[in-house]
Amino acid sequence: MSKKMLFQLLALLAVFSLVLTACGGGGTKVAPTEAGPKVTSSGFTCPEPQYPMEVTSKEINIFVWTEYIPADAIECFELVYGVKVNRDEYSANEEMYAKLKAGGASYDLVQPTDYIVSLMIRENLLQELDHSKLPVLDTFDPNYLNFSFDPGNKYTIPYQAGTDAIVYNSDKVTAPTSWADLWKPEYAGRMVFLDDSRAVIGLTLLTLGYDVNTKDAAQLDEAKAKLKELTDNNAIKLFDSDSPKTALIAGDVDLGMTWTGEAFLAQQENPAIKYVYPAEGAILWQDNYAIPAGAPHLDAAYAWLNYTMQGNLFWLMLRDFPYSNPSKAALEYAKANQPDIYNAYFNSPITNMPSEAIAAGHRIDDVGEALPLYDQIWTEIKGQ
Amino acid sequence: MNPHRRHPFIRVATFLVYFFLYAPIIILVLYSFNASRTNVLFEGFIPSFGPLQTDGSLVTQSPCGPFHWFCELSRNQEVGLAARNTLTIAFVSTLISTVIGTMAALAIQRYNFRLKSFSQLSLYIPIVIPEIVMGIGILTLFSQLFGIINGALGLAGDARLSLGLGTVIVSHIAFSVPFVTLVVQARLAGFDKSFEEAAMDLGANELVTFWRVTLPMILPGVLSGGLLAFTLSLDDFVITFFTTGPGATTLPIYVYGLLRRIITPQVNALSTVWILIVLSVVILLQRLQSREAK
Amino acid sequence: MLKRLRENKSAQGTLLVTPTLIWMIGLLIIPLILTAVISFGTRNADGGVIYGFSLHNYARLIGFTNDCPDGQASCFDSLYANILWRSLTLAFNTTILVILLAYPLAYYVARAQPKRRNTLLMLVLVPLWTNFVIRVYAWMMLLREQGVINSVLGWIASRFGIPFSPLQMLYTPGAVLVGMVYEFLPFMILPIFTSLEKIENALYEAAADLGANPFRTFLRVTLPLSMPGVVAGTILVFIPVMGTFIVSDILGGRQVILVGNLIQRQFLDARDPTFGSAASLILMIMTLIVTYFYTRKFGFGEEIIAV
Repeated sequence: MSKKMLFQLLALLAVFSLVLTACGGGGTKVAPTEAGPKVTSSGFTCPEPQYPMEVTSKEINIFVWTEYIPADAIECFELVYGVKVNRDEYSANEEMYAKLKAGGASYDLVQPTDYIVSLMIRENLLQELDHSKLPVLDTFDPNYLNFSFDPGNKYTIPYQAGTDAIVYNSDKVTAPTSWADLWKPEYAGRMVFLDDSRAVIGLTLLTLGYDVNTKDAAQLDEAKAKLKELTDNNAIKLFDSDSPKTALIAGDVDLGMTWTGEAFLAQQENPAIKYVYPAEGAILWQDNYAIPAGAPHLDAAYAWLNYTMQGNLFWLMLRDFPYSNPSKAALEYAKANQPDIYNAYFNSPITNMPSEAIAAGHRIDDVGEALPLYDQIWTEIKGQ
Repeated sequence: MNPHRRHPFIRVATFLVYFFLYAPIIILVLYSFNASRTNVLFEGFIPSFGPLQTDGSLVTQSPCGPFHWFCELSRNQEVGLAARNTLTIAFVSTLISTVIGTMAALAIQRYNFRLKSFSQLSLYIPIVIPEIVMGIGILTLFSQLFGIINGALGLAGDARLSLGLGTVIVSHIAFSVPFVTLVVQARLAGFDKSFEEAAMDLGANELVTFWRVTLPMILPGVLSGGLLAFTLSLDDFVITFFTTGPGATTLPIYVYGLLRRIITPQVNALSTVWILIVLSVVILLQRLQSREAK
Repeated sequence: MLKRLRENKSAQGTLLVTPTLIWMIGLLIIPLILTAVISFGTRNADGGVIYGFSLHNYARLIGFTNDCPDGQASCFDSLYANILWRSLTLAFNTTILVILLAYPLAYYVARAQPKRRNTLLMLVLVPLWTNFVIRVYAWMMLLREQGVINSVLGWIASRFGIPFSPLQMLYTPGAVLVGMVYEFLPFMILPIFTSLEKIENALYEAAADLGANPFRTFLRVTLPLSMPGVVAGTILVFIPVMGTFIVSDILGGRQVILVGNLIQRQFLDARDPTFGSAASLILMIMTLIVTYFYTRKFGFGEEIIAV
């Protein structure tokens, strides 16, 4: 490359970048709290805060799952409270945990799933919640509260819940009814499994009648042998924890295991796709909000929780991200004002879990020192 | 006259390799016009202009017609922020790493000093270290450092030192500098010192000599190194992930997160825009080149 | 003081190199030392590190484990050795394929008219400036069962009346290889091009004058002179392939486990930083050994990096 050419290339790059930067605009315009209804860029009218809070912070830093909060909710918070929302995202609890554990990052809110909460509490990564500042909790369904991973909800409040269960394309295969059915030869090479060592080893343990959180090496060895029956025959076509519905819709696979949101969306795409709670019990999970220790903008955090989860705003989840919603107020609001959306939610056993399914379900919890055993099994069954 | 160039095997092979390089790019661009929101299969172009209408996962009508996803992209605040962050980080880290890398190359190539071998060796580390090791290592370092400084100075709230744009820039410099140094070093190796000596004989001091003689002659190497540093910074994911903080998301991280959850054609639209920008730079450059040649 | 600086050459050198040294020591050497220290530790129940000195992580990597069937005290398990070996062979295969694909193109561009040469080169660089992950994702769209390649093949087959069932290309080790080759191809083209470009026309003419046919000229003139480029390109390809995890994740359906995946899992999912650190060090040592022997034989190829 000639000298001139390099010079010009860099100069042009500089010009283009400056142009891009200038055109980009400066993030969302944070309007001062004036009178009159606030409307988001998509035309949604923001409700007034039902539990207004004093906020002096100018920003809030949230560390959340990708694509898990309605855009309208975020914009409304910015418009109503005049606080800038800085959002960082993660696609796995372990990523979030690694960042928080190493320290250095200053987030105000995170969304841990149940199994990692107890670990985070033990490692002093979360701070205790002041329930007097969380009036919105009174509008929640008590069935989502007070679980063993956080008794009394001292550190977390529920966000969304769901299950991992069996999904299948009824046009292509006969319906499986239990985890054990997945070992049938007719399904070989046509399945997608979650890339989740705990869930997959867990369901194998269930087929053997053991506990999903066992630390017993002998039981785990049996589970490994059973799983190997699947992987040695290439029965599982792919592992995917990012977007398993894609393979289903594309026809790469005909059945497998996945979670609530994916199954719901896949079914919307292709009504032949169905979700079934296996006889041994599905795997239950719950995502929660928590405030990391040392959060710099506590007032904004509490304001966020109370506002974005109030009934007339939280119902947006039913519209955008179909999971089980812990807020009674949100469901009531949707029932009264958005009957179509509410009915889709209520009538689907995917989002509206039947109580027998919940009772038969199992929750994953941290296994402490036994975790490397699980990982070893996982590496072995994958590294054919 | 060189008969080799015309050899049909070479021409065919070259064409095939270019095709191989660009086939995925063409697919990417094509899918950015995909009518299907789930973007699994190509379902054709969005047929008509008008208010938004969908049929299941197909978009049957849009105010922007087939360019629907580009419109969605332009309304996406996060992409704008991520793009600005990415460019800022790339520019600042490139600037600094080019300067100190060139200095280091000069030092290693021309001087003998005690830490010379150590410096040379340490510059090879970023090339052989797995990115995730470097990323986590740097994260741990920053966390400990910030913990100590924040505690000692009693900083709290927004005044606290924490991860953000600054830490990402510092990390990018770390992996860029060795490449700059290597490139400039190579350029210096074949350097003819007689020009410098002549300048000094004529009365110029070291600084002036450097500025007026040395630098212009090694400039292609310096710019090459800078370009390399810029490219590396632009697409970095692993190290950036571990060293970034609130509000400092970059494009690669944003895209990776998006791809892992919702795969709409918006991501393709983003790539198409990016490719168009790069191609325009290239074409403009060509025009400038040929205009100069006349 | 400035005068003293002027005279002392050694101090000048040290001063110039100091900023870089600060970066290298602070952000590379110290974290590396940290990694090494951690690799000799043990994992506590919650995924933290108990510092100490134990070689059990390294033993586990090589294959000696305490988790044995039939209750033996210790036995040999080649699980991790297999992973290391698989990564080595993938890196090796990728490099060979990349060289085979890159060479003709680099040759063509090097012998092209100067005006077109720059354009052709830029065309090689353009894909590099799109996002790495998006390029891998594009291959999914090409390779999947109802993807572009199968659709085209199916259409051709239907025109000729040949029965056709879609090829299973995605989620196989083959797909991972294709993805790796694709991602790293430009990194081989550029160095080979640079070294080929330096070969003057006069050399070719001289060879022709002396009666050598094109094939002989290639073997005795072109190939040896282009070796520095091949070497530099190999280093730029081989090392990253050993450590990448994204390509094998996305295109291999997360069933192809390479060293990069193993390390990533240890730090994130398995929460075993001691084992992950040990694996990282082993990876680096392996890379260093291969690089050392390779460059001993073929030289380091610095000459070709000169612009």
